[in-house]
Amino acid sequence: MLKKSQLARTAKKTNRTITFWLLVGSLSVFFPLYMTIMIAFKDPSQMSNSIAGILAFPKSWSFDNFQQAMAITDFWHTLSNSILITGATMIVAVIFHSLIGYAIGRSMQKRGYRLLYLYIISGMFVPFAIIMMPIVKQTAMLGIDNRFGVVLLYSIFYLPMNLMLYTGYLKNIPLSLEEAAAIDGASTFKTFWSVIFPLMKPMHATVAVLTALGTWNDVMLPLVLLSGTGQNTLPIAQLNFQSQFGTNYNLAFASYLLALIPMLIIYIIGQKQIIKGVVNGAIK
Amino acid sequence: MASISIRNLNKTYPDGVEVIDGLNLEIKDKEFIVLVGPSGCGKSTTLRMIAGLEDITGGELAIGDRVVNDVQPKDRDIAMVFQNYALYPHMTVYKNMAFGLELKKVPKDEIDQKIKEAAKVLDLEKYLNRKPKALSGGQRQRVALGRAMVRNPAVFLLDEPLSNLDAKLRTQMRTEISKLHRKLQTTFVYVTHDQTEAMTMGDRIVVLKDGKIQQVDTPENLYNKPANIFVAGFIGSPQMNFINSKVTQEGSKYFIKIDGCTLEIPAGKNKNDILSKYAGKEVVVGIRPEDFHLDQAFIEMAPKSLIDVKIDLTEMMGAEVYCYGKIDDEAIIFRAPSRFRPKEQEEIVVAIDVNKIHLFDKETTESIII
Ligand SMILES: Nc1ncnc2c1ncn2[C@@H]1O[C@H](COP(=O)(O)OP(=O)(O)O)[C@@H](O)[C@H]1O
Ligand SMILES: [Mg+2]
Repeated sequence: MLKKSQLARTAKKTNRTITFWLLVGSLSVFFPLYMTIMIAFKDPSQMSNSIAGILAFPKSWSFDNFQQAMAITDFWHTLSNSILITGATMIVAVIFHSLIGYAIGRSMQKRGYRLLYLYIISGMFVPFAIIMMPIVKQTAMLGIDNRFGVVLLYSIFYLPMNLMLYTGYLKNIPLSLEEAAAIDGASTFKTFWSVIFPLMKPMHATVAVLTALGTWNDVMLPLVLLSGTGQNTLPIAQLNFQSQFGTNYNLAFASYLLALIPMLIIYIIGQKQIIKGVVNGAIK
Repeated sequence: MASISIRNLNKTYPDGVEVIDGLNLEIKDKEFIVLVGPSGCGKSTTLRMIAGLEDITGGELAIGDRVVNDVQPKDRDIAMVFQNYALYPHMTVYKNMAFGLELKKVPKDEIDQKIKEAAKVLDLEKYLNRKPKALSGGQRQRVALGRAMVRNPAVFLLDEPLSNLDAKLRTQMRTEISKLHRKLQTTFVYVTHDQTEAMTMGDRIVVLKDGKIQQVDTPENLYNKPANIFVAGFIGSPQMNFINSKVTQEGSKYFIKIDGCTLEIPAGKNKNDILSKYAGKEVVVGIRPEDFHLDQAFIEMAPKSLIDVKIDLTEMMGAEVYCYGKIDDEAIIFRAPSRFRPKEQEEIVVAIDVNKIHLFDKETTESIII
């Protein structure tokens, strides 16, 4: 048995190491963020070529960059496009991926379902670059080179990861709940919606945040499917800040900060549930 | 009418293991029947087949007059209480009980009335708006019972419902479930691995081992007339003592020899002269721990059935003492009133109540005389 003093000592030791790495971690996140904010609020004329000039506080905090950036990116229009695509993908992911996760996860003792699971999971190893050209061709042929097509493809691209998350989480939910529901007279479908779906809440939050982050920041798919349709998403519109002659960092970073806000909101909403999900899986 | 007929029931799991093999059982209407046996013997499997949660591989299962082999659980008119309660964690106590009724499209006010009634019986009125997480083990168990009650089923199925509770609560819930059975007047099928629960609650007890029924009888009969060594050893705590011995015959009298002591088997026990088949053969003698006597009166009365015991250890239980000892190197246990507590390592003389001894066939383990 450990003595109390020993316990205290080990606890302290672990703390120090963890604190150190946490510090390194947060600095590496904080520094670029700091730089982004400084540059975004700075007039381009205040940018000198020295590091100090970039890192210094702006002489006067101004929202001019933001206004200009919004004008250049046709902000409200592209924002609503981004929200539409990300939101739709999120909803599809939570509803359909959980349903698929349930169907497959509870049938893993059957060979066919196991193979199906592995087949879908293997989709994670296919790089987008390889399938990009065929996708462009196919979507054009099918007439879905539009927002609908983008949502559809995202829903498929995120299926492997979400399937893995949902089937993993399903192991936390005792089978006897479903048996109780069966005796209570619930159909499989009803059991899913009334019992399983609500209990998966922490995983819904995780899936929603991860899916939203991925789709929100993605450039490639909207670029190849939507460019020229006038239905740009934010990351595409933000490409405007880079030109042949250079990049307007002040405007670009202001625009990035704007684009960050919706994701921040989603994360804050989902955060509590996510932590619950992680803790749940860890302790049980 | 909710009798249950189980005819030649078989269960083989997909992995090819035959868990239940030719089970036959008639459960009467309104009976409290207990399935008892060591863990892994197939109790839950049997119960789950009655519930419809497990496919029946072979044989026939009827509830009432209806064969239900292929009937969905919800249409079998049963309710089940699970070992881990299986309450829906995200629903309040009220909603947990209402869920099944809502699915059956029972009118709202009727649901409300049923739940209020059940809550009153189970002393849950204060907790209807709580989630299961905010309840104690005993309260959760009562909610699980309540959820079964409001469905008003013809058959209650309970799978080790008390095994997650602490000892004191278990005793308390035992009586509550018995009371509930008397009040509801329905058929109860109760699964447990605990023989005390079985003995105290069951009208009849089914003793199972390796998927086969060993004996079906009332608690008294199981205790006094066990059909074989397994039942004799399983029912009763502390366990019955088993001592290897040999039957000898002198004229019309039969004797068994234990450690130099020769006990005469009372003639009344030798029904149909069954012992004649065993003369000269090895048998197993079964003696319950309470059929050893230490008091002087008994010892004087039975000078022919005295035996030496070397005491290894005694356990004080309060009113009585459990004495662990050896007769001729065979470990035995007997109980004595605590005023007779022997010293450890002491050699003492005890009298065996020959009217209460059991003999078992050594080969078949079946009971010869009881
Ligand atoms: N789903 C299953 N698949 C394969 N074997 C099982 C399954 N469920 C139970 N068994 C086996 O069947 C036997 C009986 O199990 P069970 O009925 O749960 O026993 P009990 O409830 O009496 O402890 C055990 O040996 C167990 O390993
Ligand atoms: Mg069991």
